[in-house]
Order: sequence, then structure tokens, then C-alpha cells
Amino acid sequence: MTARRLESGGRIDRNQKVTFDWDGKALSGFAGDTLASALMANGETVLGRSFKYHRPRGIMSAGVEESGAIVTVGKDTRREPNVKATMQELYDGLTATGQNAWPNVRFDLGAVNGLFSRFFAAGFYYKTFMGLPPFEWGSGTGLWMQYEKLIRRAAGMGTASRAPDPDHYDHAHGFCDVLVVGAGPAGLNAALTAAEAGRDVLLVEQDFELGGDYLNDPAAEPKRAELVTAVRNAGVHILTRTTAFGLYDDGTAGLLEKVTDHLRNPDPSLPRQRFWTVRAGATILATGALERSIAFENNDRPGVMTAAAARVYLNRYGVLPGTRILIATNNDSAYGTAVDLEAAGAQVTVIDSRAEQNAGTSERVSIQYGLAPLEALGRPNITGVELAADTGNGWKPAGKQGCDLLLISGGWSPVVNLSSHRGAKPAWNAEQACFLPGQTKEPIFHAGSAAGIWPREACETSGVAAAQRATGEAFQTIAPGGWARTIKPVYEVRASDRVSKAFVDFQHDVTGDDIRLAHQEGFVSVEHLKRYTTLGMATDQGRMGNVIGLALMADALGKDIPDVGTTRFRPPYTPVAIGALAGRNVAGHFKALRRTPLHDWNLRHGATMTEAGLWHRPWYFAQDGETIDEAYVREAATVRETVGICDVSSLGKIAVQGPDAAEFLNRVYSNGFAKLPVGKARYGIMLRDDGMVMDDGTTWRLGETDFLTTTTTAHAGKVMVWFEELLQTRWPDLKVHVSSVSDHWAGVSIAGPKSREAISAILQDGTDISNEALPFMGVAGVTLKGNIHALIARISFSGERAYELYVPAGFGEAMMDLLWPSAKALGGCLYGMEALGTLRIEKGHVTGAELDGRVTIDDAGLGKMASTKKAFIGSALRQRPELLRQDRPQLIGIFPKDKSQRFKGGSILCAPDGTSGFGDGWITAVTHSPALGHWIGIGYISGGVEAWRGLPVIASDPTRSGDVEVEIVSPHMVDPEGVRVHG
Amino acid sequence: MAEWTSALESHLSLGRFGTSGVIGVTLSEVGGFSLTQISAWPEQLEAAGQYAARLGNCETFPGPGQCVEGAGGTLMRVEPLKWWLIAPTMPAEQAGLPNELGAELDLSSSRTWIRVSGPDAEGLLNRFLPLNLSGKTFPTGSVASSAIHHIGITLWRSQEGFNLLLPRSFAASIWELLTESATQFGAEVVRSGEPRAR
Repeated sequence: MTARRLESGGRIDRNQKVTFDWDGKALSGFAGDTLASALMANGETVLGRSFKYHRPRGIMSAGVEESGAIVTVGKDTRREPNVKATMQELYDGLTATGQNAWPNVRFDLGAVNGLFSRFFAAGFYYKTFMGLPPFEWGSGTGLWMQYEKLIRRAAGMGTASRAPDPDHYDHAHGFCDVLVVGAGPAGLNAALTAAEAGRDVLLVEQDFELGGDYLNDPAAEPKRAELVTAVRNAGVHILTRTTAFGLYDDGTAGLLEKVTDHLRNPDPSLPRQRFWTVRAGATILATGALERSIAFENNDRPGVMTAAAARVYLNRYGVLPGTRILIATNNDSAYGTAVDLEAAGAQVTVIDSRAEQNAGTSERVSIQYGLAPLEALGRPNITGVELAADTGNGWKPAGKQGCDLLLISGGWSPVVNLSSHRGAKPAWNAEQACFLPGQTKEPIFHAGSAAGIWPREACETSGVAAAQRATGEAFQTIAPGGWARTIKPVYEVRASDRVSKAFVDFQHDVTGDDIRLAHQEGFVSVEHLKRYTTLGMATDQGRMGNVIGLALMADALGKDIPDVGTTRFRPPYTPVAIGALAGRNVAGHFKALRRTPLHDWNLRHGATMTEAGLWHRPWYFAQDGETIDEAYVREAATVRETVGICDVSSLGKIAVQGPDAAEFLNRVYSNGFAKLPVGKARYGIMLRDDGMVMDDGTTWRLGETDFLTTTTTAHAGKVMVWFEELLQTRWPDLKVHVSSVSDHWAGVSIAGPKSREAISAILQDGTDISNEALPFMGVAGVTLKGNIHALIARISFSGERAYELYVPAGFGEAMMDLLWPSAKALGGCLYGMEALGTLRIEKGHVTGAELDGRVTIDDAGLGKMASTKKAFIGSALRQRPELLRQDRPQLIGIFPKDKSQRFKGGSILCAPDGTSGFGDGWITAVTHSPALGHWIGIGYISGGVEAWRGLPVIASDPTRSGDVEVEIVSPHMVDPEGVRVHG
Repeated sequence: MAEWTSALESHLSLGRFGTSGVIGVTLSEVGGFSLTQISAWPEQLEAAGQYAARLGNCETFPGPGQCVEGAGGTLMRVEPLKWWLIAPTMPAEQAGLPNELGAELDLSSSRTWIRVSGPDAEGLLNRFLPLNLSGKTFPTGSVASSAIHHIGITLWRSQEGFNLLLPRSFAASIWELLTESATQFGAEVVRSGEPRAR
């Protein structure tokens, strides 16, 4: 292959020289080049190594179907492997390297694999490395797991950078009446017709220029330019460098737009790629067709490419890809290429596997009939071809012919992938020797060569017709085909007495012999064939090889191709970067961060935050170099001694309103709410239908028809959805509205003996919140200094005298600016979730760790709360015998036997002689109790406290701290009589 | 007088950013508003709607997916049985919605109001929202409930541009996403409304 850049011609800009780096070598090309065309113009022939045998590979095509020039682009953190050089737009400073080779693609030690290729047929690895006595044992996968690592290292493709992706990506939603995929002769005409009919049209083109096949024909440029201008003037929205990679339900298409991949120094404001979700009323697929190769020996040699590709390099990029060119064809399409190449100065010979005479080509193009290539000669580049003559029932050698470029046209395969995504099964058309798009009831229409229509004029007409169909107009039916002479199906050329290395699937090194081997070994289903040989499982999804593979399988089975079937294409049509799928939802935006109204205030006052679902909540407020352990113990002790303030804004809050609100709550909660007086709060537990605890919280009656229900932070959304479901589906007769007000309120808990004092000092009007005015579980509206209207409730999670104070969220910081100095003056503290946990564990109060969905209200020790006088959600099924068993795990407290020892949450509680197996219980939470001076825990054990009182128990933690002897105590470990809370 | 603190207090900075020389999107936070929810019982939809219209000094009450402007604010139909009245100030004291018609609820502090305008406003919002926001399908007066990054938001289109009501707790996170994405269009954050005092 002795390619050279021509002095003129092509669409490149010879005034804009572009320099780039290939495998450490500085090369140059022109603006408008692809990496492939520039490499070809520079005389680079070996650009890749094959997947399995490490055979040298060169440029095989000029498009998305490329199977040879697969390279790595970029370096360091921006290294992207498996880029098709034919699709990579050249830009100044581009760096590309060969891959799957060492030391380089031109001299690759891995090529030694080729010497053993006869052993590496399909199924070799499975047969050799799995379950092979005496080297294997057990289930037969142990050694395989080791071998697999070596195999994957030896065979494969490039490697991506392991560093975090430095680029950012975007998501976008688009809408249109008509989506046109492909901007060739059919697509441009379709888009223009639909737009002129008043439709909102989106035209998507994976190339960086509009025109498709027009771009490869200088004579068509005026028509192309006119069409493109008309399309733009008609208001068609155009996306170039954009691939429609998938079609989905209801007219949804997935697009990948490469925004800056072609730029050396892109604007940092722009994303690298953009992932579009487009909803279209109708979709026109003008996706073109791909030229097929033919399987013959060494058909993967650098210097063998598709015939149409040579025309692209010549007419679009101004590169004459060879000087002595042999074109092997079985159809009419290659003749135009022959004429163009000859006109550009090449010596061209056409061998046509068909027997009849052809007309209309240049007299300087030599044509030989009834011949096909049997073997490509030369190494690594092609130097000639051994020909084969058609014997009527096979092929026989027919001499050799020298050449530096062998062009193959084995027929065309319409790109039917996208409609196949929608379940439209491609249908084999024997006359055109290709699969045509299948039928679908969805408004998806094919145009141009995607519909098996070959002449350009017919493609243009079919584009118009497709748009007319999409817009409900009358349309002309264009039949597939259009060549003057019928194609002669040729899929493989081999002499019967010769073993050949004839590739069917170049990307996965699958040969014709592999297909026959699969048949010999009993594989008859195309799906099994695919998996056994890996045919069509590479990044091209079998674009180049599937039809040949099916033809060979059909031949082996003695069937016709349609009887063998074809596999269904699945998205994506071309690979999509994981980064594009993620879009902006990465790093800090992997999930939305939820901030309480006091978030910034907490940070300014020394909070270390922790995650609680999507929320960030204060974990602890360290002072002067305190560790977390020192901080939370101090905070918990301060609460019991004076006063502490904790941000509880994240609690779920639901406004329950309406004349039937009390009745609704009475049905939802296991305890009674019907008679809760205005100005009072009540702790409630709600069950699921199956009798298990769902959530707990307090409900405040603010008025006769107004309630404020609080939920746990974790279950706020779930409870809200549950309430809506109950009202909409079970009790639509109840006049109740529920609304989330979680974000409306900023809330704090003020706990400790001096809590009332701290609050009283910030009340504007001296409101009385004494025991008498605001007793335990009392609720009132108050006004803070600065005229901040607030709700206050006397409720406690810590076991201390405590209040919850809520103000509108925007006044949260203002409240804290009043409250914190007041508490600080009393020796108080701010406390976080760790101390909150300590205080509640000391009291045996349950949270999500204890109410984990497996627990009944009796298990949690709260069974007496459940009403026996009313029905409520879960009231029937909580009476199931299984849930009433006395040996069910029940809530308990845990002390270490030796008070200097600690144990960990998650430990299994076991009898001393039963430290294996599932144990008798588990620890849900632990803390160091400042009130008791040692570590304590809370958890569940079979039968509860009474079953284990005085008995030795082991807290077993085999993977961390080992075994610790503990004793089981009441969960109410501090102030069990509840004196302090009423203080 | 206590000071009101915006959820975007430490996140919003005024000025231009992104692609130089272009302002495709203008963003602002609208402060100092009130948001009142009027919920109707199914059989009292008409009467509750009329109450909502009176509260906002609107000529009528809007149907699903619509809003109307009145002297007392913008009245949106956000659910089959619910309207939201958003206004620059608290609605004038009224007798309140009678229990037999429905329920009324103050949600003023639960949302952060963002306004998005400019030639690329639709483009920016479509980076997140799966809604056709073209003038043909989402003209002025349209309302939608949708989601940004899985967070429920309310959107309506007014003469000033697009308006978003974001749950306050997620407002900063969504604001970061919007402004980061807006850099590709060229953007400016401007002041709109004043911090409210009470």
C-alpha cells in the first residue's frame, strides 16, 4: 500500500496544516482530515494488532465499521482506548498510539500467538483451562479464575487511564416532531421535506460534515451545498458529531454528541460529550449501509480495505490509497470507485466474481470476470493476490497478480441496528443479499441505503417519501435495489484442499474455520454460535462479519440464511463513555446533597458533618483538638448536666389537615389519636399491613383540624407516600390533605436540666413555658425575640427535660443566634448525632437501627402502646402466632461484664457455648455512656431480658474485636423511672 | 427584626461567568415571597378555586398545568386538588378557607424561588428537565411538576422567564448544578428581590 496525498482535490484545507503525534512520531495532516486519512497520507500502514493473534492490521474502511485502525487517543488522564481512527477528527496536537502490542504495532512480540493459531480456535480457552484433570478440581472454576487473568492480559484491546476522568459531561433532553438520523442524500431530503411541511425537525449526523455519500463525490458538491443551505433555512435543528446510539420506547432516542473531542484547547465551559435523550413524534432512519468484506486467506492484511473506503480517501481527503490497485467485487457499486481511482492516476484492475460483461467503465480499467481473491500475499503489507476462479461449485486457484492495494466489495448491509433495538426483526432479501429493516408498528421509517436502496437519486426520493410518511402525506414507495445487474452472493473464497486463515469478524479474530468448528461441535442456533465463537460480540457488534458468519453457518447446516436467523442488535450502536452516562451526577453531585436550614450555621460553629441519607447533619462539635470520642462524650455529659442544642431539622414533617385528620391518624397509628387535645403532642408508632413496625414519631395537634406529624429522618419520604396511598386508595372518603412541610421548618432540640432557662431568655413576650403552662408533651405557639413566630413542643428523645423549637426555615439562623448565646451562658453545648445516639441508647429509645423492618411493636418493648380498642393498620396481622412467640428477639440493653471492656455494634449475641452459627441476638448500637462510665449497647436477643437475666452472654465479633463477655440488662439503662424528663 | 437567611446565602454570587462574551442565561433568586397552598375537597373544587382566585386577586382560578397572574400574586394549579399562590408578600388577612371547602397551608419557607431567563434559558433547563419547554408547548402561563436530579421541583413560565420552586433543603445543590451547567451558555447571576425582614 503506497498511499500518497494528492496535490489537489478532496475537502481538506491544505492551507491549514495540522501536526499530530503517532506512536511518538511527529506527523502532519490538514484540517478536514480524519486520523486515518492523515496516517494513510503519511504512509503509515500497520496501525493496530488483532485481538487474539496479534496480526498486523491497517485501515480497512473509512467509517464506523472500522476493524483494523483501532487506536488509543490522548495520553495520561485523557487516554481513550479503542478509538476508530476513521472516526477521529484530526486536530492540532492530537496524540495517538497503537494498542494491544509491545513494543509497538509495527513490531509486536505478541505476534508469536499467530504461530500457535491453529490451537487457538473457538472454544480453546474453555476446553483447555476449565475442568481439565488432573489440573483442575472442585467445580472447575478455581484455576480458570487464575488463567483468565493471563488470557485477558494477552488478548484484548487498549486500556483506559485509571485516573479519575478530568473532563465533564452533560445531559440534555430534546423534543421534535421528526427525528432524522443521518444526513446523507436520503436524510437531508427527508429533513427538508418534513421541515417544509411545518414540522419541528432534528437532524443528527455522526460525521462532522453534512452530506454522507455526497461528500465522496466532487460532482455532487453543488447539490449538497444547496440542500444543506435549504435545510438550515427551513429551520431544521442540526447536531453534527452526534451518533444516535439507541432507540427506545415511545419515540425516545439516545444520542451522543461529541462536543470537544475534536478540539486541542476546548473552552473549559463546554462538556466533552453530551448525552441526549430525544423524544420524537416520528423517526426517519437514513443511516446508510456498510460495505461488506469477503472471507479469504489473509483478508486482514494491511492494504486490504473496502472499495467504497478508497473512494472516500481519494475524493474527500485527497489521498490516493494505492498505485497498483486490484478491486474485487460481486456487485456494481465498486465500478465508480475504479473509475475515480484510475482518473487519479492509479493502475486499476477489477475482478468481478460475476460472469457477465459490464459496461460503462473507463477503458483504462481492466476487468476480469469470474474471479475472486483466494489469498492476499505479502507481509506485513500486501504485495499481491492469488486469484480464484469460480468452478460452479467452488473455487480453484487461478494465478497471482501483484498489487499494493486490494479493495473488496462483497455487497452492502443496510444499517438496521436502530430499528432492531425496537424489536423490528431484519428480513433477509436474497435478491440484494442483505438484511433489510424489519416491520414495526411504531412511526419509524427507513430511507436511502438503510432501506436497501442503492442509486443516489432513488435514495433522495426515498428520503422525501419517508418524510411524507412521517408527516401523514401521500408518498411514493421506493423498492429496494437499483443496480443494473444483480449482485452475486460471495461470502467466502477458499480452495477446498487448503486450510486458510480467512477472517469473518476482524475485531475478534473469528475465522471461517471457527464457524465450521462451531457447527461440527453441535452448535446450530445462531445465538449459541455467537457466544461460542464471539462472532459479532466486539465493539462493532458484527457490522462487518455477521452476514458472512450467518452465510457460512447456513452453508454448514444446509439451510438458507433466513432459516439460520440473525441476532437482535442492542444499544448502543457505538460505544458510549461511562462519563457521558453519568453526566454531571458525579463527585459531589453523585447524589443531591440535602442541607438543613442550619447547615452553614453549624459549620461556622465547628460542626463536623456526617451523612444521614441525603442529609448532611452535624456529627459532633469538637473543641480544642478533641477526638470524636472525646467530643461526643463531653456533649452527652453536658446535656445531662446543663443544656445542649441539636439540629433536628431533618426530621420528616407532614401537615395533616382536614375534618377527618384525627380519624386518619387514629387509623394509621397503633395508639390512639382521636382524642388528642389541641396543644398536645403524642408519640406514635405506625405499623405496616403485615404487623411490623414501619416508623415512629410525634404528632402535634395544632388545631381542631390541623396536625403536624413528625417522622424519622430516614423514613420521611416513605411515610408521606404511605399517607397519600392510604388516602387515595383505601380511604378516599376521608377529608384529609397531607403535605410535606419538612423543608418549611428549621428545628432544634434543646435538652437538659437548663433547657427551659435557655429558651425562656429568648422569648419575646415572656411567654410562660413552666411545667404548668407547658407540661410534658405540651405544644404551643411562641414568639422569639426579633418577632420570630415559632412552635414549641415539650418532647424528649434524650430522657432529659427537653423541647423541640421550630421556626420557618429562613429564620433558623436567626433563632440560633439567639438561642446559642443563651445556652452557652448556662454552660451548655451544641451536640451532634453521635451524642444524640449516646443519649438515646442510654434511655433505650429506638431508631432506624432497631426498627429495621423485621421488628414488631412487642419486640421493641412498646407493645403496651398498641390499642386493643380500635383497628389500625397492622392490628390484625400483628396477632399472627409467629409474631407472638415468646422467644422472638426482644429489645435489651447490654453491659460489658468487665466494665473496662468495649464491644462493637453488629456483634452477634451468643450463649458461651454457641459462638458459631447465627447466635441468639445482635447488637444494633453501642456508645460510651458518660452517665454510667462504661460502654453500653442496645440490641435484640431471643426471649429478651427475662430469658437471659444472670446468664453469661458473649458478644461475638469474629472479624473485628473478637469475643467480649457481656450481660443483658433492661434497655432503659439511665433514669429508668423517667424522673428527669418530667423535671 | 430578625434577618431572613436564604438557602443560597453562601452559594449565590453575583456576576458573569462561563463562556466569555456571551450571556445566554440569566439566573436570579427571588426573595421575600409568600407561598400559600389551597387544597380542595373533591366536591368543593369550584368553591375552593374561587377562594384561591380571590386570595390572589385573580380573575379566575387556573386549571391543571396552568397559572394565572393576579394583583395578589401568581396562582398555580400544582395538583388536581391543590393550588399554590405565590406572592411578593403575605396574602392580605382573610377569613381563611372554611373547613368544608378544603385546607390552607403556609409553605413560604419550604421553597427557594429561582428565575431563569435569557435566550438559552430553555436549553439550560432542558439539560435537566424532560419537558418540551418550547413556546409552542409550554407558553407563558404553563405550570409543571418535574424533577431535577430526582428532586421534585415546580416550574412555571411567566413574562419574566422560567421560574423554579426548589425544595429549600436541596436548593443549594440544584443551584450548583444549574450554575455549573450554565457556564456552557455564558451566564450572569443578578439580584432579584430583596431579603425579607419580618
